[in-house]
Amino acid sequence: MSAAALIPADVRARLKNLRLRARHGAGGDGLGQHASRSRGAGLEFAQYRAYEQGDEPRRIDWKLYARSDRYFVRESERDSPLTIWLVIDASASMAQHDAVRPAWRKLDAAKTIAACAIELALRQGDRFGLITLAAGGPNLIAADAGARHRDRCMLELERIACAGAWPAEPTLRPLWERVLPSSLVLILSDFFDDASADLALRFAAARREVLTVQMLSAEERDFPFTGGHRFLDAESGIERRVEAAAVRNDFLDRFAVARAGLTRRFVASGIRHTEYFLDTAPDLPLRHFFGLIGERVRA
Amino acid sequence: MNFALLAPLGLAALVALALPIVIHLVRRIELTTTEFAALRWISERIRPRRRLRFERPWLLLLRLSLLALFALLLARPILNEPSIAKAAWVVVAPGSELGAARAAVSIENADWHWLAPGFPAIESPAPSASVPIASLLREIDADLPSGTTLSVVVPEETAGLDGERPLLSHEVDWHVVSGRMVADAASQSHEPIGLAVRYAPSAEPMLKYLRAAITALDAQGSTRFALDAQPQDSALGGSARELVWLGSELPPAIKSWIEAGGTALVDNQPRATGAPIWRDADGDVLARAQPLGIGRLVTLSAAFSPQTLPALLDADFPQRLFDLLQGPSPAPTRAPASALRPKHGDSTTTSAMRTSAKPLDPWLVLLIASLFLIERVVATRARAST
Repeated sequence: MSAAALIPADVRARLKNLRLRARHGAGGDGLGQHASRSRGAGLEFAQYRAYEQGDEPRRIDWKLYARSDRYFVRESERDSPLTIWLVIDASASMAQHDAVRPAWRKLDAAKTIAACAIELALRQGDRFGLITLAAGGPNLIAADAGARHRDRCMLELERIACAGAWPAEPTLRPLWERVLPSSLVLILSDFFDDASADLALRFAAARREVLTVQMLSAEERDFPFTGGHRFLDAESGIERRVEAAAVRNDFLDRFAVARAGLTRRFVASGIRHTEYFLDTAPDLPLRHFFGLIGERVRA
Repeated sequence: MNFALLAPLGLAALVALALPIVIHLVRRIELTTTEFAALRWISERIRPRRRLRFERPWLLLLRLSLLALFALLLARPILNEPSIAKAAWVVVAPGSELGAARAAVSIENADWHWLAPGFPAIESPAPSASVPIASLLREIDADLPSGTTLSVVVPEETAGLDGERPLLSHEVDWHVVSGRMVADAASQSHEPIGLAVRYAPSAEPMLKYLRAAITALDAQGSTRFALDAQPQDSALGGSARELVWLGSELPPAIKSWIEAGGTALVDNQPRATGAPIWRDADGDVLARAQPLGIGRLVTLSAAFSPQTLPALLDADFPQRLFDLLQGPSPAPTRAPASALRPKHGDSTTTSAMRTSAKPLDPWLVLLIASLFLIERVVATRARAST
């Protein structure tokens, strides 16, 4: 699947007006499009890190290899004034979809939003990385820039299938090494799991600029069911047998309270938060975050 | 007009009504399964209600009525319809003088009928006289509703009776007028019966016993015989209806004469078969009768002589001989009408037989068939639309 298949044509057309923006000045200097908070001459060395499969060979520090007989990649901030990390929740609950449009799952919407963000970053010459969180642990594609990297990420996006629960806490540790401070982190999840909200809060507390999109289906917003229903949770296997029309008001109240509580926690931690519903255009969350001030849309 | 069931236990089939009800209910309880990740906010307290609502109520109604009608059919319903016949019936036996009958019965607005099979109206021509009066009286008694007055006009001399005086449930006005019913033609004829006797020479002395018996019968008066006694070789005359063969074996010509419809008495046949029709005081069989073609062969087990057949000398031998030749005499069917007044009482005819009960089965079957058709149409329509 190419980027064209992930992003519908009308959505792509509307991306023109959007620009990725960090709230704070990005680190580094020079080649990027973003204001820098660095002082003095640019091309600042940031760190060495071990080579991983997928790194471009030209970025290996060959002199260091000659000295140490190991591959190291030299990372510096001059290349990438802004880095955006796209974190996609691929747990089983993301397979939720509306009955009217079974092929448009929450995961598909998240893929489209991520692809749009990648397109934006590519257009601005920013770096972007992709993190998929599934039961086996995070699947990570290192941040980089360029069209080839875009294709790599699109390929990975296409492969994502949702299964299992939110990954356990120890498996998330590598994220802290890769997601550097002051980078943008866009988390696409339903946030039904407390661990997912915790991750966002901890990123925010550690000086990453976090944007969260809560993926919701229209059925969760409207609860249009009537008659006897057996509700199944694919992630935990729990089921509820209820009279749908009778529990509707109760559910809508409690769900609204839960969503409001989540929003309050995120906003209190400086996280920019929005909700996305499956029956709306997938560029709405990006428009909410990155649109021009005048035409900013509230999702 | 009232409604009755001949087999009320058939209504037990109404138990089957539970079947469609259960079918239409079970479907109702089924739950729709939905994957829903946000179910932790769904309250668990409100269980799905088991509503007593039926799917496709019209179809259910059709099926219920179908089963109810079927149970009704098993119960065999009837409609008791008291016939709207006139309150008075007058039946006139053929042979009665009509004018005298009109004078004897003074009921206005009465329904007049002949006492004949089918009970034709009195305006139709008089039916033939030989009708079974007693049987017809019982039939009309069973057919008429219990409130009807029944008047019967009979001639003085009545025929067509049977062994019992009619026992009727209706009070009967019994009118006797002058006239007589015509008797059967056979019993009326007074022509002498041709009786041929063919004998072997050895049996000639025994002829006198036969002649004596015939003379005695003639003297009684009711039947006359024309006796034609000749030796064995002479041929049978055309007027001979009965034959007495004495002395030797039957030649084939005589046998074929019997098979063509004659009656023959043959003596000295101890090994003959057939139904015993005469026994002596000890119970030994003296005579047997058997059919031969459309004729009748009567065999004496002993020779026709006083030595071997002592009953020959008895006083009732002429009557015996008459019975052997004529067969058993028919039961008397004639009597003076005044002695015939029917007995009144609750006879064997039941009330259900007296009222005209109309079975409803054909209509029910028709209704069930049409309902079944409608049910099929409704059921398939509903299936096609879902």
